[in-house]
Amino acid sequence: MKVTYRWLKDFVDIRLSPVKLADKLTMAGLEVVGLEKKDGDFVLEIEITSNRPDWLSIIGVAREVSAITGAKLKKLKLQSALASACAGGSWPLAVTVANKQDCPFYSARIISNLKVKPSPSWLVKRLEALGCRPVNNVVDITNYYLFELGHPLHAFDLDKLCQKSILVRRAKVDEKIITLDGQTRVLSPETLVIADLQQAIAIAGIMGGQQTEVTDKTCNILLESAVFNPVLIRRAKQKLGISSESAYRFERGVNCQAALQASAAAQELIVKLACGRSAGSRSFGKINILPTVIQLDLVYLNKTLGTDISRHCVKQILSRLGCQVKMKSKNLLTVQAPSFRPDLKLPVDLVEEVARIHGYSEIPQTIPAIKPKREILDQRDIVGNIKNILSGLGLDEAITYSLVDRELLEKSGLVLPADPVEILNPLSKEQAVLRPALLPSLMRVLAHNLDHQQDQISIFEIANVFSGRLKTVCEELRLGIALCGTKSSFTQQGLVRDEITLLHLKGIIETLLARLGFKNLDWSPQPDNKINIIIDQQPIGFMLDINPQVTSAFDIKNRRVFLAQINLDQLFKIIDLKKRFSELPKYPGITRDISFVINENILVQELLRAIEGKGAPLLSQARIVDYYQGKQIPAGSRGLTVSCVYRLAERTLTEEEVAPVHNNICSLLKERFGLTLR
Amino acid sequence: MDLNSIQAQIDSDLAGVINAAALAELRLKYLGRKGLIAELTGSIPGLPVEQRGVFGKTVNALKSRLMSLLAEKEKNLIHPDKVVNNSLDIGMPGIAQLLGSRHPITQIIDEICLIFNRMGFSVVQGPEVETEYNNFTGLNIPLEHPSRDAFDTFYLKNYSRLLLRSHTSPAQVRVMKQQPPPLAVVVPGRVYRPDAVDASHLFMFHQIEGFLVDENIRFSDLKGILELFARSVFGKKIRMRFRPHFFPFTEPSVEVDISCIMCKGTGCPVCGRKGWLEILGAGMIHPNVFKQVGYDPNLYRGFAFGMGVERIAMLKYGINDIRLFFENDLRFLKQF
Repeated sequence: MKVTYRWLKDFVDIRLSPVKLADKLTMAGLEVVGLEKKDGDFVLEIEITSNRPDWLSIIGVAREVSAITGAKLKKLKLQSALASACAGGSWPLAVTVANKQDCPFYSARIISNLKVKPSPSWLVKRLEALGCRPVNNVVDITNYYLFELGHPLHAFDLDKLCQKSILVRRAKVDEKIITLDGQTRVLSPETLVIADLQQAIAIAGIMGGQQTEVTDKTCNILLESAVFNPVLIRRAKQKLGISSESAYRFERGVNCQAALQASAAAQELIVKLACGRSAGSRSFGKINILPTVIQLDLVYLNKTLGTDISRHCVKQILSRLGCQVKMKSKNLLTVQAPSFRPDLKLPVDLVEEVARIHGYSEIPQTIPAIKPKREILDQRDIVGNIKNILSGLGLDEAITYSLVDRELLEKSGLVLPADPVEILNPLSKEQAVLRPALLPSLMRVLAHNLDHQQDQISIFEIANVFSGRLKTVCEELRLGIALCGTKSSFTQQGLVRDEITLLHLKGIIETLLARLGFKNLDWSPQPDNKINIIIDQQPIGFMLDINPQVTSAFDIKNRRVFLAQINLDQLFKIIDLKKRFSELPKYPGITRDISFVINENILVQELLRAIEGKGAPLLSQARIVDYYQGKQIPAGSRGLTVSCVYRLAERTLTEEEVAPVHNNICSLLKERFGLTLR
Repeated sequence: MDLNSIQAQIDSDLAGVINAAALAELRLKYLGRKGLIAELTGSIPGLPVEQRGVFGKTVNALKSRLMSLLAEKEKNLIHPDKVVNNSLDIGMPGIAQLLGSRHPITQIIDEICLIFNRMGFSVVQGPEVETEYNNFTGLNIPLEHPSRDAFDTFYLKNYSRLLLRSHTSPAQVRVMKQQPPPLAVVVPGRVYRPDAVDASHLFMFHQIEGFLVDENIRFSDLKGILELFARSVFGKKIRMRFRPHFFPFTEPSVEVDISCIMCKGTGCPVCGRKGWLEILGAGMIHPNVFKQVGYDPNLYRGFAFGMGVERIAMLKYGINDIRLFFENDLRFLKQF
């Protein structure tokens, strides 16, 4: 909202420069976001918070300036008494308000025999400074008081009203009106209109209709000043997509005192500038709002703020803001809030007023005693740990949107247990559903990075996925990993390039889970290039070798993509973070390596199990320490080196004890698996 | 082999050493993988059991004496060739396992949570799908009120009264309904608002909510804690200001600005020429919120604050487009 420096000065003496004033207002809660010199005046643009409709006026801001600076607020001078709103005389107009809840107050004034013409330049200048286009003297005057007093007014051409009647009612289904901006609007019964006997002539509180517009031919006008239900105005404004200065104020709430005041002031100026004649007024509906009276305890005030503000100071601040303040006892004030401050309801509301005007900067800074309740280790710490392990393994963390498009899910080829949860009001199809899986989003990240010439992409994300239940939506924490490309690393011999495979992914998962304390990891191949990750007979996730159809749907060409997903909620249920020390071996072990060539079809797991079975109990560990496939190995085979460690916990083994066992293993390999030892 | 003669051999060998290369050679001869000591140790299993202990001890003594002699010799040697190693050009790339990076948003969240952890706050997380009650009503936000404009919200189809939380504040309602005061909690997480996407707006972003509730919490405490926080994140030299504002769930409410970290307050494009950057909103928890969660507003007071993580990350790292955070371009991610 805009105000000008000079216009404010109509109501309060300002000794501060515009820049200083802007700063003072900002620090009192009226944030000045623009200050511009214009025609010898200064225009201040202020961001008004939604709780303060009274600030949407020059007088409201002036009142604030008065409270901040201590300068007295000048009252609006009206020649005609406010009482004239109910003046007698013959009254030619029938006014009906269909529902008092929609329109609790409606006042109408008739001004006759006026001359519509352009406004004088002082008026034009003031409106233009606030960015309001001048129209003619009548319309400009209604706008002038909208800005000055914050209450929207509307003038109708009285002679164009069908049978001189006003009906405040809901619009009929598909009722049409051409508004002042020339648009045809189709209305619905959720919208309040002002109508004559035939048709809607204005959308209440939002915009007038062309039919009854005040033009240079207008002689007699009806000046409307009303109070409409803010909720109705708000809904209609949203529904119709119209925003106007008038609607902006009505939806935030106006009060009937201001309605009367603005109407009287406008009438006076119209009579003066358009040479019209007051021809009576009526108001309908009464708002007897009992003023809110709040008991303010000074001890409470100072305890809430951590201050020592005096009784006198508190009284002065609240009085300048328009409250009536009485000292009830030493520490108790009785405060009556003014009608334009419906936001003042509780003592704490007054505490804020005092703090604001006294200055937040005047409140000291203290450090409270905090009583911590932190648990030693929570789920977030484990997630943090996982992120550290994975980034240590060279993976970059990604964060992708939880809202996705259906197309993404479809092209990922993922089989979903149920339809994903839909968003009721997405702005675009990219926000259509809550994602049931992380992996499609990660695929998209791979594609993006491949597009940007990255040749090794290893990423992970930890986030919730969503699935719909009967009445709730279930959120589960997942870890997703995606690998693609070539891993390059230096050795002493130079750069080694290694095409990323499923084994790279397996290595990451093994290391991660081992670090988290899981010992019994197992892998269970499934159809469709899927391998389940098993802990204690329970699948806790899977690895996927993505098929080329899917990768090409993501525009990933000639690249293999490997994905993994782990259900962290499930993992957290079985995780055991206690670390236990196992005694270091007291006696040295004897290590024997076996190298051989083996048919590819023989599974390593099977082989190792056979070796372990044969080597027990002396054999404490058998593992693959090298493998090779290439020139010296026949096609369909691979070279393997298995390292066998023989050890007993209670004594040192001798060569003589180990040799027969090891020989047994070698002959087993030869006989059962048909291996050639090297 | 006679251990005494070995000892004598060592002494004479050591006397002959004149440079580092010779010393290294000698070290290899005795202590190398196939050195004499290793050989002696390896012979232990072949000895009769009763001799093993004594022999082992002697070998160990020999080894430790040898090591100290070598160390001493090393100290006494002058190394003319130590800095020159013809086979290595130290300008060549080093060899190391490449590290990945944690997302900048994660890093900022962790940094902020750590600061509050140190002050005694615990970290709590809440669901992203929330009830209308927790997101609005419980926080003193009336259903039909312009104050809800700022919290424009995604609703779910087929689930009435469920929505995607538009801020992390519903965690206040959840935590307070579960636990009695005193409370000191921070809540990081994703939030959602149907905003049109541009360089500074997205439909998903992150917030951190925090609140402190006890019997005698004051506005001055809010100022003290938030000042401590802001200086920890943005440095000791920043200036701060506390500006009155409006939030339905706090009274008095405040917006906290820091002096622009780019221009130091003189005005630049980053701060919109204001010299100040808004970093968080806060206030004393509204008595109506306490009533909603069943706390006695006459007994307890507290403050709450909330901040946008992306905004803080953008300021701290000088990032000019919020969309970069979720594009996950490796050239972006690897900078953090």
